[in-house]
Amino acid sequence: MKIRLSQADGRPLYVQIMDAVRSGLVRGSLRPADPLPSVRELSSSLRVNPRTVSQAYAALERDGVVQVRHGKGTFVAPGVRPEEKERPRLAREVARRALADASRNGLALADLMTALREVEDGDAHGDGRKEDGR
Amino acid sequence: MTDTATAALPIDLGNGPFAVTTRGLAKRFGSTRALDGLDLQVPEGAVYVLVGPNGAGKSTLIRTLMGLVRYQAGTVSVLGRDPAERGAEVRAAIGYIPEDYRVGYAWMTVGRLLEHQAVYHPSWDAEYARELRTRYGIDPGRKCHTLSKGQSRRVQLVLALAHRPPLLLLDEPTDGLDHVVRDETLSILSEHLADSPTTVVISTHRVYEVEPLVDHVGVLSEGRLLGQLPRDELYGGLLRYWADVPEGWTGPGELAGRVVRRSGAAPAIEWTVWGDRNAVTRGLSQAGAAVREVAPLSVDEAALALLSGREAT
Repeated sequence: MKIRLSQADGRPLYVQIMDAVRSGLVRGSLRPADPLPSVRELSSSLRVNPRTVSQAYAALERDGVVQVRHGKGTFVAPGVRPEEKERPRLAREVARRALADASRNGLALADLMTALREVEDGDAHGDGRKEDGR
Repeated sequence: MTDTATAALPIDLGNGPFAVTTRGLAKRFGSTRALDGLDLQVPEGAVYVLVGPNGAGKSTLIRTLMGLVRYQAGTVSVLGRDPAERGAEVRAAIGYIPEDYRVGYAWMTVGRLLEHQAVYHPSWDAEYARELRTRYGIDPGRKCHTLSKGQSRRVQLVLALAHRPPLLLLDEPTDGLDHVVRDETLSILSEHLADSPTTVVISTHRVYEVEPLVDHVGVLSEGRLLGQLPRDELYGGLLRYWADVPEGWTGPGELAGRVVRRSGAAPAIEWTVWGDRNAVTRGLSQAGAAVREVAPLSVDEAALALLSGREAT
């Protein structure tokens, strides 16, 4: 599971950790019943307060995404269905951020939709702007 | 400068339990008020960052908690004890990084210094001390007086952490550390917090370096707290509002005392306001402003807004 946190993201760190777990499920790098890193391991590698990781795991447990088994660690819940729940949920999060970014720039939803299609088409024809770092 | 602007943020954390408290703490050096009626509350298990400009009183406060500075008024409780009366006992229970980076006795080797500390602290964990020393690449044969500033800081961190104290007081802990060592230190602190129940007070004017570890924030200015609250409350309650406003717009009166910082002018303003997001947005809208964006602040930005807002009003 690859997690990158950003202070510039504007969302609390525990929410970013939750999204990283969901993203792992959607990509397939995390599967049902897989173990997640321990609180100690993850907080150490991310250089965050262990409570932040616990907070993320607890919130994911409330959402039914993971199971905390005492003394054994945290695991992806066996019954998760990434395609049905996590994919649309993650997509909505990304959409929310894109909309906020658009409105900050004075753009409306229609502008954003048009531009998304144009950019996708442009990339299909290889106009060299596939990765602009965002 | 008015007091309404500085009273915007809460400073009372409620009923505790607290590892450290001060009430009305005052300390003067000659005619200078270093601490001016300070009410500090550090909850047990918190990682509390004390933010403020140089000269705000951060080091004086930490030295007072260590029993190294005599205070003149108020009360102090550190792990249930008054450091003015039971200084040695308090100091034995604390892992301390002083502002000054010189360690021990110049002629001592680092290895000897570590043994010396082990005797002083009954809870000294020799294996952990060795592990930290190795991770930091410290040579035990070096004489203390030959250590660079960064090497000294690393030795101080080993000394502070290796007895797994219930309280860590870290005065500018990342000062003098290069990138790589600073990163390693944050990783070590994360693991330490996961392994040992510890309350941590970090004083720094470079809060962005330790921000991901922090869960409580105190902003200190001229010996007083401008705000003291959980990091999550700061994140949810102190927000920046961008709005389009008509010429000559002055803003809603009901927000008076909650606007921490005003910048910009018609047609576009950027205000930092403490309060419920929906209520503030409504207040601004009803007064004729079109709110375009609302965003939280990092601890660093929040502290800056509080400190500079204070000068601007």
